[in-house]
Amino acid sequence: MQATEVIKLVLGEGLPMIGRLLLYDAMKMSFREVKVRRNPDCELCGEHPSVKELIDYQAFCNVPLGVEEAEVFDGSAYEMTPKALKQLLDSDEQPVLLDVREPYEWDICRIEGAELMPLSSFKADQTGITTDTPIVLYCYKGVRSMSALQELKKAGFSKLNNLEGGIDRWALEVDPDMPRY
Amino acid sequence: MKLSNEEVTRYSRHLTLPEVGMQGQLKLKEAKVLMIGAGGLGSPLGMYLGAAGIGTIGVIDFDVVDQTNLHRQIAHSLGDLGRPKAESLRETLLAANPNVRVEVHDERLTRDNALELFECYDIIADGSDNFETRYLINDAAFFTKKPLVSASIFRFQGQLSVFDPASGGPCYRCLYSQPPPASLVPS
Ligand SMILES: [Zn+2]
Repeated sequence: MQATEVIKLVLGEGLPMIGRLLLYDAMKMSFREVKVRRNPDCELCGEHPSVKELIDYQAFCNVPLGVEEAEVFDGSAYEMTPKALKQLLDSDEQPVLLDVREPYEWDICRIEGAELMPLSSFKADQTGITTDTPIVLYCYKGVRSMSALQELKKAGFSKLNNLEGGIDRWALEVDPDMPRY
Repeated sequence: MKLSNEEVTRYSRHLTLPEVGMQGQLKLKEAKVLMIGAGGLGSPLGMYLGAAGIGTIGVIDFDVVDQTNLHRQIAHSLGDLGRPKAESLRETLLAANPNVRVEVHDERLTRDNALELFECYDIIADGSDNFETRYLINDAAFFTKKPLVSASIFRFQGQLSVFDPASGGPCYRCLYSQPPPASLVPS
């Protein structure tokens, strides 16, 4: 469809999608068209534009969200390498292993012995785990599990670790038979 | 400009359409289209444009082909793993239609190179996958007065429009004046 629009513009034939936005939903197999009008207050093409040359788009798109985002958490002290986790799991001091990925990811692969607690519904005060239990968290790359770790820390948990690089690095360094996604 | 005998036969189903015809096919051959992105959207876009006989197709993409791309970025094959996507797309297009000129820009589109690059083409086709690039493309297309054929996909939903303020239409910013908050942007 994008190619068709290009070709129509080149030929000068038909009715191009100027001023119209096509919304397509593959799951519903539905097409919806909405009119888009020129906005007189548009910062680029409006009557009093403020964007008069190319700007810093990275800064433009990373709009800060508020105070809680500004607080930077240094998680490096909690990181545990895949090899270190493997040693720990092979020892007698088994930690609770929490997988905070979503169920569809759990279906692709998981570390044996882990418990699924998706971050999307994660509640640090409803884990059913006592606060002095050693816990190791993991996700796909180690970012989501670090935010779950922060929540647990706030809720009073004291023995926390995060699998550095997530299950993806685990697959690379510890379990080569595990599928990567 | 004239079509070769091979091209006449190749495009014969175009040439017999009143909406295209010989004049239209020559317009396609003279046209210069810049595609941004040689991924999920860029693959089919480039393959159709190349097959249809767009004379000059510019492709800008700085990424390389990864195994996780293959299920949807259909211009790339197993043998392309690790190769620049723009280069891989170029080969796919030329294999189907060697009459097309494909200009590879194996680099990231930035505010420093966008205007100069856009000037070399008639139409811009956005198949990028992030908001920074989308706003950059919109603004650069506005400043260079090039029509922008914009497409985007997220999961199972897609959007398509043509932004051409030079002919009185809206731009991408008229539709979305601000990018979504960073925390809502899927990575
Ligand atoms: Zn605008």
